[in-house]
Amino acid sequence: MIRGGKSFVSSPPAFSNDAKKLLVCTGDTVSIFSTATGLQISELEGHTALVTSVIVVPAPTPASRILCYCWTTSLDGTIKYWDFSVPELMKTINIQLPIYSMVIPSLLSQRSENDVKSPDIYAYVSVEDTKNEQNKQRKELSGQILKCNLSKSRLVRGVILTESKKPENITISSTGKYFGIHEKCQLRIWEVPAKDLKNITHRKLKLSHTKNLSCLAFHPTERIVAAGDVTGRILIWRGFGGKTFAGDNSANGRLLMDEDDKPGVRGDGDADSCTTWHWHSAEVKVLFFSSDGAYLYSGGKEGVLVVWQLDTGKKKFLPRIGTRLLHFLNSPDPSLSSISCADNRIHILKTPSMEILKSISGIKLPSPVPETFRDLCNDFVFDHTAGLVAVRTENYCIQFYSLFDDREISEVQVCERNHQPSDDVTIILNLVALSFEGSVMCTVETRMAEEGIGGFITLKFWECGSQNSDFSLSTVIYEPHREAAVSAIAFHPTRGMAVSASYGGDFKVWVGNCESQQNDKLIQRTRWACHAVGSYRKKPMTAAAFSSDGSVLAVAAETVITLWDPEKNVLVAVIGSALESIVNLSFIGESNFLVSASHGSRPQLAVWSMSKLSISWSYKLQTEAVACSQKDSLLAVLAVLPESYKGQEHDKTTLHNANGVILLFNAGDPIPIASWFVTKAKGGGLAFIQSRSSGDNMDENDLLAYVNGDHEYAVFNPHGAEMYERKVRHKDSISGEEGTGNFGYASMYGKLPLTELKLKAIEASSVMPSERAWESIFSGPSHSLPPLTKLCSTFLESFMEKRSVTMVE
Amino acid sequence: MAVDDRSEAIVKTFAVKPKLKPTTNKSTPTPESKYWKSFKPKQTQTLVSSITSLAFSPTAPHDFAATHSATVTVFSSQTLEPKSTIAAFKDTATSACFRSDGQLLAAGSYSGLIQVFDIKKRSALRRLRGHSRPVHFVSYPRVDKLHLFSGGDDAVVKYWDVSSEISIHNLIGHKDYVRCGDGSPVSDDMFITGSYDHSVRVWDVRVSSDTSMLNINHGSPVEDVIYLPSGGLIATAGGNSVKIWDVIGGGKLLHSMESHNKTVTSLTVGKIGQDSGDFTNQYRILSVSLDGYLKVFDYSKLKITSSIRFPSSLMSVAFSPDCSTRVIGTSNGILYAGKRKTEETVGSVKSEWGKYVGFGAIDEPEKRVLRPSYFRYFHRGQSEKPSKGDFLIMRSKKVKLAEHDKLLKKFHHKEALVSALRAKNPENIVAVMEELVSRKKLLKCVSNLGVDELGLLLGFLQRYSTMPRYAGVLIAFAKKVVESRADDITGSEELKSHIRNLKRSVMEEIRIQQSLQEIQGIISPLLKIAGRR
Repeated sequence: MIRGGKSFVSSPPAFSNDAKKLLVCTGDTVSIFSTATGLQISELEGHTALVTSVIVVPAPTPASRILCYCWTTSLDGTIKYWDFSVPELMKTINIQLPIYSMVIPSLLSQRSENDVKSPDIYAYVSVEDTKNEQNKQRKELSGQILKCNLSKSRLVRGVILTESKKPENITISSTGKYFGIHEKCQLRIWEVPAKDLKNITHRKLKLSHTKNLSCLAFHPTERIVAAGDVTGRILIWRGFGGKTFAGDNSANGRLLMDEDDKPGVRGDGDADSCTTWHWHSAEVKVLFFSSDGAYLYSGGKEGVLVVWQLDTGKKKFLPRIGTRLLHFLNSPDPSLSSISCADNRIHILKTPSMEILKSISGIKLPSPVPETFRDLCNDFVFDHTAGLVAVRTENYCIQFYSLFDDREISEVQVCERNHQPSDDVTIILNLVALSFEGSVMCTVETRMAEEGIGGFITLKFWECGSQNSDFSLSTVIYEPHREAAVSAIAFHPTRGMAVSASYGGDFKVWVGNCESQQNDKLIQRTRWACHAVGSYRKKPMTAAAFSSDGSVLAVAAETVITLWDPEKNVLVAVIGSALESIVNLSFIGESNFLVSASHGSRPQLAVWSMSKLSISWSYKLQTEAVACSQKDSLLAVLAVLPESYKGQEHDKTTLHNANGVILLFNAGDPIPIASWFVTKAKGGGLAFIQSRSSGDNMDENDLLAYVNGDHEYAVFNPHGAEMYERKVRHKDSISGEEGTGNFGYASMYGKLPLTELKLKAIEASSVMPSERAWESIFSGPSHSLPPLTKLCSTFLESFMEKRSVTMVE
Repeated sequence: MAVDDRSEAIVKTFAVKPKLKPTTNKSTPTPESKYWKSFKPKQTQTLVSSITSLAFSPTAPHDFAATHSATVTVFSSQTLEPKSTIAAFKDTATSACFRSDGQLLAAGSYSGLIQVFDIKKRSALRRLRGHSRPVHFVSYPRVDKLHLFSGGDDAVVKYWDVSSEISIHNLIGHKDYVRCGDGSPVSDDMFITGSYDHSVRVWDVRVSSDTSMLNINHGSPVEDVIYLPSGGLIATAGGNSVKIWDVIGGGKLLHSMESHNKTVTSLTVGKIGQDSGDFTNQYRILSVSLDGYLKVFDYSKLKITSSIRFPSSLMSVAFSPDCSTRVIGTSNGILYAGKRKTEETVGSVKSEWGKYVGFGAIDEPEKRVLRPSYFRYFHRGQSEKPSKGDFLIMRSKKVKLAEHDKLLKKFHHKEALVSALRAKNPENIVAVMEELVSRKKLLKCVSNLGVDELGLLLGFLQRYSTMPRYAGVLIAFAKKVVESRADDITGSEELKSHIRNLKRSVMEEIRIQQSLQEIQGIISPLLKIAGRR
């Protein structure tokens, strides 16, 4: 079984100490990427639920930079300690509560005195208290911040710093002195005691605001905290905790001084001043101080990274990143930083120039679709032969993602429009279809009208060149079915033919005509033109499919299925009626069965026999997806379990939180061969895919690929009883491992041939041990060297001397 | 929101693009059809009536003769102007034919008399009497200067000795009018004739049996027949079809070209000239028909390579042996004579100019060594061309942004609309409107427009809103604009006049739509019936 398609941006990533690796939380694993190549190096596997945070143990001295240890937390209630260079699990702490966030202050604070007995390491974890449910349900406070002794692998008993409605993310200052959370309109900040012990009181303060806060950041050196709110304002409190954290011995006088004026500070917040910056038009999601504290980075829904000069409030922008920003992170290398974007992509930035060096992109997440268009969209299609899934993205692209390699192959811009992530959705990529061999793609996009003006539908055919894998636009058809929306597209299995069915009551058969132009070079291109139009009693056509040999075209006209000869456009037969409007039709492989699925109040999965032209068997099932294998007469169905089923669940362990089931049928037989329970089935997809290792055994069965509603996927052999997990290892990424960071000269021209130089040097020394002027003569900074005219003669001289010596010998 | 454009954007920028226009299905003209189109038909003076035949002189200036009514007119092929006229006919002249040296011209007539003229003196040297009915075809053999063959409506084909004015052979075999014929390019003793009895006969005067060597049935009255240059193939025209036969192989039908819609009246062999690439010195069949089309047929590939339409019925066609002139005669006396523009003239001018420069004592300035003190030093190597083996790294193409694109990028929506309106390109204006629609800002823009800008918009709407390409967007939009800005419109006289114009164009559109609906009403039952069949 191959799993993949995890979200890279569920929680902030972390840089390794040498900034050559990026640790990204991907589902229940942590993937390690090389920042130089952007490819995956290795993976930390061990957690059984979503990994929520990863903390790299920082290196106090430059020498220890190679140390690769990290802590990870997960919703499975464990904290794990890893050596990620190997990678190897070193320690597991089970605290049995789902952990949402963790900070370890003692790792950050510089321990100047080298204590022989190293003190216990304490961590602060944000957990969801699921243990005593009755108690918590009453109080409705399930989020807690607890203290954990990592050295002794246990929670510090009795220390509950705060309780909140839901678990909050903890943010820590880079010195490790303060950490805080935001909850509704308040910031809560704790001071970490200098000597962290088991039962020490934590001094804390609250800062309040009128709006809900969304993020916060601490200044690396000064007592400044910045917070962003849901309206896009950034609040900066300077000198917070003057009273609270001031310490017992110091400054009662200062306390008095602060009393009188605290501009902008609301209520009795303990801060010297509070200023507000407002540029963002929507919620601020990213706040981050640069490592020297001079700049503040902020970002949010607009997809613009704003760099604020902290003293003056001047702004610089990195505009049009294209999606919402989620996390920003600085690396130990001052020239590298990373942005995590909502489209499941992590950009590695060169900091001062804000250039993008590399992008690590995962599978695109489902893009939001307005409710009225929900039924008209298919989220993804599969390329059976290449093992690809084509996902439509928010910015009007189609992303091709390899299921076997778990990475992006290419991206096709379907609609050439500048995407603003904060805009309302007005253009929707409705449908995507790929031809059987994957060389032709058909897309449908809908532009919504503004008060009845200017909405239209476009059908586009794309062709894939034989050499390069990129699709290029072949034909554009505006309003293929007048005003009516397109309900389905299907490709002929062997010929260049496609059918589009519409709710307007007709379907059109499109045929690609090859033509070659020969003005300067032979350009083969295909034009797609309408070959035939058909309709059946003016009923909306809701689904379409070609039979596996392409001789029959089945089009569903609401509840009945009409069968056509696609060449001659003649109605061959009409088969019986389903209960509700059919939304999905497909022929089952070579067998003469046809499967139809309908939604609605009386959902139905029906298999029709083509030889008898009648229903063979049917189920009352809410089907989400139907897949038919090409070779065998197998049929896989992804069905959503009804809500009522959940109530009477008998076996808690198997069902877990599954809300769907995959059923595998033999076409003629209504009894399923196999079934699997799956999670997040809503909006999921299913397909049979050719397995890759076709070289050794040809009769290997097709694999079944399941993509869930969050675009996580699994590929497995439907016949194999054992569900062994195959490692996804990229052969080619090994080479990209440990990309060496080159700077300056080396990055442009590569390394100088060092060995050669050495050889020469040795040779020379054997000849002339006394003087090696040519080696030392140009060393040193150029401004301190004598003028070149002077140097040159000595330099040449040295060579000549050497030569003469060799001559003598 | 002022985001500076200086820093690099991660996302590609797209300019607002108008909807694509449907491209014509017609492919770009092939070099060959370009060649045939390059004979620009120049309409010469209108002759009196239908041009029954056209013939080129086989010798150098390649003058050509046209027969029409009772005259033969000789035209110069250089100027395409008439040189001389021979009017010694009692009835309609037919089938002019030059002798192989170009000195003499033979022509038949409806009176049955065949006359041989001296081109220079325009006097009839010989009169060949023998045909009792109109003569439609007279021809010299290709080389032979002493004989003629002719055919007439009396269904007899005669072979004449010109000097003695005696018919040597009376070849009988056709059962109807003989209308056409051609001498073999390989033998002066062989020729073919075509007749209205649907048959084409091959004659050989060496076999004096008075019967034809070969009889080919074309299937319809034969209007014209020619030998193809190899001498082994003949092409016959009759009815709507042109057929190619293998005479050596016993009269086997090779191909039938059926692309004319009316009777094919004349055929000739055309040759593609020197300067046309791959096709140099290939032969084509040129056929003209009453449907007004000239078709060029490649009989090696059995494909029509060019098709040119003329406004009237075509009667005759001729192509000069030097490939420079093509003449087509019509039924109403118009002569389309086209000369191909040769590049020789252009080339000669160029070479002369080159000589002129060469004589001048201007030497190439000696290249100085580049030093940093020269400005050129800093530009050295910038215009270097890549050599063949070099791997080219293309600079990514810069997206050209129009002013409205830049404004849209800055979210200045109204300014973008106004700037597009000022630029006056309707496609771009509609594209900007569509972009604004997808930002849901179009109506907001309209409400923000000033009075003069509104005038601009109304002027645009008035002109384009009934155009079918834009009507889908603009009609609904025009309605909204008028509704939302009614107050401003009533306040301004200028806007009122715009509205008046708009109303007029809308009324006209309604009329058009109504008449279209009427037509649809007429057609749709017909289509239904046709579909039922």
